[in-house]
Amino acid sequence: MNWHAIARILLRLTIVTGLLRWMVGPRVWAVAGLTWRAAFRFRLFWVLAGLLLLSVVGLPLLLKNDGTARGFIQIMLTYTLSVVTALLAFSTLWLSCGTLARDIEECQMQVVAVKPISRWQIWLGKLLGITLLNVALLSLSGLCIYGLLHWRARQLPEAQQKILRQEIFVARASVREPMPDLEAEVDAAIRNSPEFQSLAPAQQQEVRFQMKERIRATHQIVAPNHYRKWVFDFGLNRHLIGDEPLFLRAKFHVAQTNASGSYLGLWRIGSFDKPIAISPPQSLAPSTFHEVRLEAANKLLDEQGRLTVNFENRNQTAVMFPLEDGLEVLYRQGGFGGNFVRGLGIILCSLILVAALGLAAASLMSFPVAAFVSISLLLVGLSSGTLTSVVREGTVGGVNHESGQATAGWIDVILLPIFKAILWVVNLVQQFSPVDSLSVGRTVAWGDLGLAFAKIVLLLGGILAALGMYFFTRRELAATQAHT
Amino acid sequence: MPRRFQKPLLLVLAVLFLGTAALLQRDLNKQRTELGLTRVEPLENAPPVLAFTTIALGSFRGLIANALWIRANEMQMEDKFFEQVQLADWITKLEPHFVQVWLVQAWNMAYNISVKFRDPADRWRWVRNGIELLRDQGIPYNPKEALVYRELAWFFQHKMGQNLDDAHMYYKYAWATEMTQLFGGPRPNFEELLNPKTDEAKARLQVVTGKYKLEPALMKKAEEAFGQLEWRLPEAHAIYWATVGLERSNPKDQITLRRNIYQSLHVSVLRGRIVLARPDGSFVFAPDLNKIQPASDGYEKMIAEETDNPDIVRRAHRGFLKEAIYLLYNYNRTAEANRWMAITKQKYPDAFPPDETVESYALKRLTERIRDVDQNRTKALVEGWLNQHFENLILDEDDRAVAVLRMARQIWDYYDSVSKTRAESRGLEPFPEIYRRVRDSLMDPASGLPPEYVARLRTKLNLPAPAAPETPEAPRPK
Repeated sequence: MNWHAIARILLRLTIVTGLLRWMVGPRVWAVAGLTWRAAFRFRLFWVLAGLLLLSVVGLPLLLKNDGTARGFIQIMLTYTLSVVTALLAFSTLWLSCGTLARDIEECQMQVVAVKPISRWQIWLGKLLGITLLNVALLSLSGLCIYGLLHWRARQLPEAQQKILRQEIFVARASVREPMPDLEAEVDAAIRNSPEFQSLAPAQQQEVRFQMKERIRATHQIVAPNHYRKWVFDFGLNRHLIGDEPLFLRAKFHVAQTNASGSYLGLWRIGSFDKPIAISPPQSLAPSTFHEVRLEAANKLLDEQGRLTVNFENRNQTAVMFPLEDGLEVLYRQGGFGGNFVRGLGIILCSLILVAALGLAAASLMSFPVAAFVSISLLLVGLSSGTLTSVVREGTVGGVNHESGQATAGWIDVILLPIFKAILWVVNLVQQFSPVDSLSVGRTVAWGDLGLAFAKIVLLLGGILAALGMYFFTRRELAATQAHT
Repeated sequence: MPRRFQKPLLLVLAVLFLGTAALLQRDLNKQRTELGLTRVEPLENAPPVLAFTTIALGSFRGLIANALWIRANEMQMEDKFFEQVQLADWITKLEPHFVQVWLVQAWNMAYNISVKFRDPADRWRWVRNGIELLRDQGIPYNPKEALVYRELAWFFQHKMGQNLDDAHMYYKYAWATEMTQLFGGPRPNFEELLNPKTDEAKARLQVVTGKYKLEPALMKKAEEAFGQLEWRLPEAHAIYWATVGLERSNPKDQITLRRNIYQSLHVSVLRGRIVLARPDGSFVFAPDLNKIQPASDGYEKMIAEETDNPDIVRRAHRGFLKEAIYLLYNYNRTAEANRWMAITKQKYPDAFPPDETVESYALKRLTERIRDVDQNRTKALVEGWLNQHFENLILDEDDRAVAVLRMARQIWDYYDSVSKTRAESRGLEPFPEIYRRVRDSLMDPASGLPPEYVARLRTKLNLPAPAAPETPEAPRPK
């Protein structure tokens, strides 16, 4: 990176900061500044920065990997990003609870509150201060991770580096076949079946269900000694692909297992009879994702930008490619740097939500109670597996396997709606998890980042902020002094 | 006391207390065991991370292990295998004396995860990960658990030795290459390994014992007990680890180790020799009939040692002897086959009818496979045996070549005699014609064997050299 690039980044930072200051106004900005100063005064910033750097640099030394360069980079990326997120989440929670609750308890808030500033502006200023602190720490950690990944990758042989560049250090988008309209196909089949109208409504429903499953099966199943054709339309993206490789990402299930646990995979690109390329026979395990590399994309697409893929089933059992994720084609959409920054952006959205949670709790409660409540909520959120199974089973206490009835009774009536609500929130946040996408080289799109900002920050964070501001505005500051 | 002395004093006290605690720890551990206050032995020689987790986490270790196990399962369901080695390492470190944890984690890597990959090299890496987990960590933490040795031996015997995995030949080749490099040749030099004098010998011993955890004294002991082993093949290592397990583990579950040994001995006889390693990574194996005697002795030894249920081993021994007789006959070693037939009849009177001879038994085994086959399949079978006849000639396996040719002829004769009793004509072409056709197709320069193999075959069959191709006229200046 040369001085021009650094100067450009600094200039952009100055513009963004100025813009932000103009947007939030001088009062909110002043409170944010106070929060920053407090973080530096209490050495929080330096301690956190040290911890983050230690974990980013130290963690790769402790980790064991599967023995491949790809595996090493994947585990490094996953663990360092996860540790950074966890550290920042807990410190953000602690800081957001502390900065507001302690200011109130130590009477400093009374001094601020008598100034010409609204309570909501103080609250927002605190949130902004913590967010900017997170931006700084996340940028620092991200920069270290990014540098470390590339530094470690450069130690590898050129062949391994090439694999990393094409499969991990990349943003790969995917193309799938459009989902068939099963309902329309069922309707068409029913129109050709005059007996259907003579059935009772309950029977009609059952027949409809069975017809739908049969039609789905015709789309999914490749019988022995048959082949299945997929056509992937790249549209305008065909002009961007160039001669980069494509990756078929396939997953299938089988009707019967065999002794070896793997099945013959034969792929033909282009028409079945006159293929452009044929894969060598592959030994493929069922119910798992396989990536088949196709060289030189521009030679494989037709003039309309379509890729035709055939799977030939020479096994003695039927093979089923699920409609949802049976086969997709991955192609290079962009570089790793931008993808990584967008991934960090999504992590930042989650941290803003955590900060809002801490501040909202501290607006209502004293510091220890607020910290306890918000950390408990965070832990509940992390144990979403338990919540999912409770909601799926429809009971907290388990099911009596003989009667099939839930055992918890009235407890379920109270807890189930709460669990469902928490699970909804948790799923809303977790669906944007960028770590998984980054570790397998999948694109974190600008759209994903925008959606994450809208849902996590504006919707969930907005609700918490509104609650927090309301409680803080209504709170009698002088009545909550810890030391009289 | 002045305040400035307080902190140094506290520091000195802390060091003193820690030192005293360390001194008392040994006695406390001893008393803890004597008084029966714990069911778990205190860890010895454990790495710092394990020692820390064991002491610091206490009973919470189980919970953390469960959480890690759940994560490992979730990751595996999502086909994300890159964390599995790390998670398996943590889980086993948290529950180091829970044998099933080691077995499940190692099995998962060697069997479940390995087949998820289509590249044999990727599969091999995961099989190795499973082997290394048991060999390098599972056994040191559980040296008296027979099941850990059994599982390790089973990976060699079954995962690498059998042919159920599509990549089994890759495993065998990779292991054979590694062992050849390790021992500096096809066999270990026990004299050098047991008494290394040169720096090179010392370095080799370091790798043998340090990386592969093979003890030369025990390797030699295994050979003394079960005959010379082919250390490039996985069966030798299955026998080795089962032998080590029998020597070190508690008596419980030792029958599983004996099974490892006699089953591997059986396979060593069936295909215990490498006669040709092709450049493409595949092998040509051949039976090692010289191992019949030591293998049979091994069975006898296992029968003598197995006090709980020796009949299981006896039945296996009987089956092995019958197989050996058939093999010997197939390799034209009729005298030996007769000798083993006599031994088998004496040891296991119900193994054969009293008047059964080697010839009648071999013919029965051969024809029971072709009783229901039609003309085309019989023709294919005869051609297949003839192909094997020529291949064995090329490989200098002359005895086998003679026996295979005899079997091809027997199948032809058998089918010919059966087809004559039928109304419609289903006869095969004459045997010499099939012989000639198969030979000529193998020697065809365009579609047959590589030239060096054709030359070997030509020598073996005393065939004249092929006519030299016509030399084209050299262009002349006009």
